[in-house]
Amino acid sequence: MSLESKKKILVVDDDADFVESVSLFLEHNNFTVLKARDGSQGLKVARMEKPDLILMDVMMNERTEGFFTVQEMRRTPELAATPIFILSALYETQAGFRVKPQSSWLAHDEFIAKPVDMQALLEKIRARLGARQAAAFPAEGA
Amino acid sequence: MKILKLPKNKLDFFTSVVQQFGEVHAPVEQNGQFAFQPVRRWSEVRLDYNRTILPPKKYFLPPRETLLQYAGDAGYVPVMEGLDKKIVLFGVHACDVYGLNLLDLVFAGAYRDPYYQARRRNTAIIGIECTPDEHCFCRSMRADFVEQGFDLFFFDIGDYYFTLVGTALGDDMVLATGPLFEPVSHQDVEEYKRRSALKREAFRLHVEIRDLPEIFEMEYSSDIWQGLGERCLSCGACSMVCPTCYCYEVADEVQLGSREGPRARTWDSCLFATHAMVAGGENFRKTRPSRVKFRFYHKQRGFVAEYGRPGCVGCGRCIVACPVKIDVVEVLNQLRSVQNVASR
Repeated sequence: MSLESKKKILVVDDDADFVESVSLFLEHNNFTVLKARDGSQGLKVARMEKPDLILMDVMMNERTEGFFTVQEMRRTPELAATPIFILSALYETQAGFRVKPQSSWLAHDEFIAKPVDMQALLEKIRARLGARQAAAFPAEGA
Repeated sequence: MKILKLPKNKLDFFTSVVQQFGEVHAPVEQNGQFAFQPVRRWSEVRLDYNRTILPPKKYFLPPRETLLQYAGDAGYVPVMEGLDKKIVLFGVHACDVYGLNLLDLVFAGAYRDPYYQARRRNTAIIGIECTPDEHCFCRSMRADFVEQGFDLFFFDIGDYYFTLVGTALGDDMVLATGPLFEPVSHQDVEEYKRRSALKREAFRLHVEIRDLPEIFEMEYSSDIWQGLGERCLSCGACSMVCPTCYCYEVADEVQLGSREGPRARTWDSCLFATHAMVAGGENFRKTRPSRVKFRFYHKQRGFVAEYGRPGCVGCGRCIVACPVKIDVVEVLNQLRSVQNVASR
């Protein structure tokens, strides 16, 4: 069993089909997947399970729900450093809202536009968790 | 002053983005009343609120705070943790902004309170226009509009919020939200003026504050104070909910067997029986009439003498909170012998 299989990823999204497909993909790549259908459930699961990484939708019950949930997670000490990837189509559907999270106003770690390129997502997840792993267990003599 | 407009249907996006300037707190409903709380989702926010139970004062002068930690060997060490927390207070009414401006005179004027000042520095204020209800008399107290004390101020003009940018921080917020804001047109200005006039007409309570300190001087021995004292329960609710009541008690919280502990500051009220008690047991205001009278005199006369304006903003919280229905507007108009306050 690889180290990767021990990593838990929380998917917060109200699109059941998307959750299902991304879960299957991540499980196939040796991740444990936790699921939540909205921000408040995501917050509860995250506080309880302390995932290694969170994939967060934005438009759920409310169109800015993901933004507020990310901030709430950042205010939660045990989740303050957990990597959060925003997965959203908001910037395509809301033409008037052109303030993209790449401009760093949101306390997230990555922004990935929907529709999601699964392979690219996997690489970003591996890069993020791998980097964390390296930081947590520095090589002997480093 | 820079003036812009924000589409109402973009307010949730705006609030999402201003979270980078601090934890956003706004009025949310609690059992039919309202309170400033951290915003967990946009739908919780109630910008149509009439008044919050406690004013924004609670952010700058908390009901209880530890000022110092004392220990046998270390002596007294100031406790400054948490003072640098960034907060964006969203949806503050003009009367409450005015109240904070008055508190600034007390805590950031001749005598500077570092705890208050640090919180003030780290808290952004976004104001919002409101509609007066049956307890509002802020217009009489000149607190229905503020020229300063906010970073941004929103006025409802239909599909948009007419937005005054009050500070550089407010301007940074506008810039951070990219193209959400739009320039105002002549029509927008006309609509702002129309609604401003309508709001002036909407006030049902009126108090004339000109020469009020002098009338207080003349009525020092009035029977009104005895009557009020007999009704007043000295519960202090009016002080707790007042945006400008700032009296506090400071005490070392000593525990048996311990050589260390906190020195805490807690809200106090001039209506409490012990407020004017000093060492030896002497109490300068033993009776309820003397205490209720003191409160009125400090607000309407003492504050004017010290700072040039009354220490009341006309928010109506004390009217709502008083369990025996002491109504400040009624009292002030009784002093003037003005019977009808609602029909003018």
